[in-house]
Amino acid sequence: MKHKTLKTALYIVLALLGVVTVFPFVWMVLSSFKTNNEIQSIVQTLIPQEAIVDNYLNLQQTFDFLRYFLNSIFIAVAVTVIVIYTSCLCGYVLGKYQFKGKNIIFGFVMMTMMVPWSVTIIPRYTMFMEAGLQDTYISLILPVMVSGFGIFMMKQNMESIPDELIEAARMDGSNEFQTFHKLVLPLCKNGISAIAIFQFLWVWEDYLWPYLMIDSEKKQLLAVGLTLFNGRYSTDYGGLFAATTISILPVIIVYVIFQKRFVAGVAAGAVKG
Amino acid sequence: MKRLLSFCLALVLVLSLAGCSSGGSGSTASQGVQDTQADKGLEVMGDNVTYDPNHLVNNGDPISIDWWVWASEDMFRAIADAYEEIHPNVTINIINNPWDGFFTKLPLALQRGEDGPTLFNVHNSYENLILNYMEPYDIDTDELIADYPSASTHLMDGNIYYADYGLSTGMYYYNKELWAEAGLTDDDIPKTWDEFIEVAQKLTKFDENGNMIQAGYNYNNYFNSTVIGLNYQFGDNLFSADGKESLVNSDGMKDAVSFLVDLYEKYHVGDKDFGTNYDQSFYQGQSAIVFAWGFFVGNLAQNAPDIDYGTFEIPTQDGDTPYAYYRYNGESTPGINKNANDAQKEVAQDFMRFFFASDDVQIRLSQEGGLVPAKTSLMDAPELKDTPIVRTVGPHIDRYIWPGAMPSTVENNMKIAGEDILYNGKSIDDALKTAADTIDIDLANSDFTSSESLYAYYEE
Repeated sequence: MKHKTLKTALYIVLALLGVVTVFPFVWMVLSSFKTNNEIQSIVQTLIPQEAIVDNYLNLQQTFDFLRYFLNSIFIAVAVTVIVIYTSCLCGYVLGKYQFKGKNIIFGFVMMTMMVPWSVTIIPRYTMFMEAGLQDTYISLILPVMVSGFGIFMMKQNMESIPDELIEAARMDGSNEFQTFHKLVLPLCKNGISAIAIFQFLWVWEDYLWPYLMIDSEKKQLLAVGLTLFNGRYSTDYGGLFAATTISILPVIIVYVIFQKRFVAGVAAGAVKG
Repeated sequence: MKRLLSFCLALVLVLSLAGCSSGGSGSTASQGVQDTQADKGLEVMGDNVTYDPNHLVNNGDPISIDWWVWASEDMFRAIADAYEEIHPNVTINIINNPWDGFFTKLPLALQRGEDGPTLFNVHNSYENLILNYMEPYDIDTDELIADYPSASTHLMDGNIYYADYGLSTGMYYYNKELWAEAGLTDDDIPKTWDEFIEVAQKLTKFDENGNMIQAGYNYNNYFNSTVIGLNYQFGDNLFSADGKESLVNSDGMKDAVSFLVDLYEKYHVGDKDFGTNYDQSFYQGQSAIVFAWGFFVGNLAQNAPDIDYGTFEIPTQDGDTPYAYYRYNGESTPGINKNANDAQKEVAQDFMRFFFASDDVQIRLSQEGGLVPAKTSLMDAPELKDTPIVRTVGPHIDRYIWPGAMPSTVENNMKIAGEDILYNGKSIDDALKTAADTIDIDLANSDFTSSESLYAYYEE
């Protein structure tokens, strides 16, 4: 009885937390169908009093929404795929190979996670400018191709793979390339899923670096485009909410694809196998 | 999973070929054509600053330059188009940037020489940040000042790096429906502060329990912007004679602050807790009068298009012309990147001469920006004379002061002072002294010098 009561109370608390978490999102989606006047109304209602779709229809007027959206998809997918691969590669080496200085290298990798991005952004900007990479997508991909977090996650993940399995593959004639790609990678689905979600989200919402590096409007990303709704004196909330509602769809899709393995992946990364 | 990864990898490889290969924005790469016709039979534009379109730019060779803006892309595009029509060899790429971060990115981009923007929009509050990258206009300063008197306040060592194309200031906006409901007519537009208090009281409503249900006047969340400049009417400038120290602790400022506080606490025409944002309260028809700058015209069109509103000028103590009604600020003309190459700078200088001389350009800028034209000869232009701001403050715009490109510390600390006075029970003297002390420390660490001494009636 006591156990049942506790369980019910826990569910109620979790349900309340869920509502608190989801409510702003629901409010934003519903508000994207309101006029600016209604969004800023003193008397607030969740459901639009007068539902309109103009905020969606007018998206292209503020900036080339579709182009920015596709640009962001490209960069986010490219970076995510590259980071997954480099993280798995480095994680495999650090997790499964024994060599001198391995822990020092891993220590360096961990250190990169502890340096705030704001400290490196100015020298990084200067480097990229000198290299003539301004206004290219290479400038957005290159600095995040290798992720300290990803390597850390995958190293932990790789360590949970039994050494015997890898040895067996080698004894069966598999070379290192085949072992990594055909055996190890498929065994790391959970970790890969977790990195995919994190990395995609980080790239998708990154604002300052793309804004600094990309000048051409044709190449600009959605996170930068969304700020165009904020003027000097006022904000077009209706347009902003509509654009944001659409912009989070890819993140949700990525999460839906990888969610089954996400929790397991994070847990595996957190516990040394 | 394997298929998905394979698909993603393939997608990335294909897109990489398309996405990564293209170069920079290419200031010098041009889409223009060769221009061989110098004399196009066009009329010379302008009054004192003139522009003769009958010449070749960059020897007629194709050239393109970037012009960075942060808003009103269509308006600046139209101006660039008008110039490109005269000089078809020139392509001006309008690069629209978000306001947030514009002045973070701009100084970095201006260091990139010909790869950075050749022209860029300026906000005078960021003058110190970008002045080192700016090329002075190749225009006679006397001629420029003759057409644009406010340009005199931007004179630096005999050069002008940017000027104002339009002027904005504060004015009162009133809800015409609430005005009529209170039995008020156009004859009741207040000219003095006493009259203002009288109409504001008529516009204030309370329920049977004495709770306010409609504010006659609301300055909530706009206290600092309202009071900075009101001091001129109460006897003191905003900065000392040498322009280096603030006078926010002066008797004039104290009187101005006291007046605003009294409007709520003595005359009860509004309340600090009623409609905590002046603009949203006005949008909802909850407050009858608010004070805002010219930009509010655009905000109303966007956020409350159904509100029928009118405007009136800031009242004075006795209805006579004061030392100054209030302060103004200018919308700045584009700057020229001194690190651009010679060809780009030649085009930019030519463009700026066109920009200043063309009445069509200036009318468009003031009309769409809700501004008083800085080119005084356009004050009576049919397209502008009936805009809210020109109609309201145009006749007296010479009685408004530009205090200079004030560092944000002034507004920020006056905001804190206002909140301390209204919400935290701090005395006006203490709050203003705290603000003055902080502002003066910040000013001592900056290159700021007030432009108040350049005001035509400064000696009055």
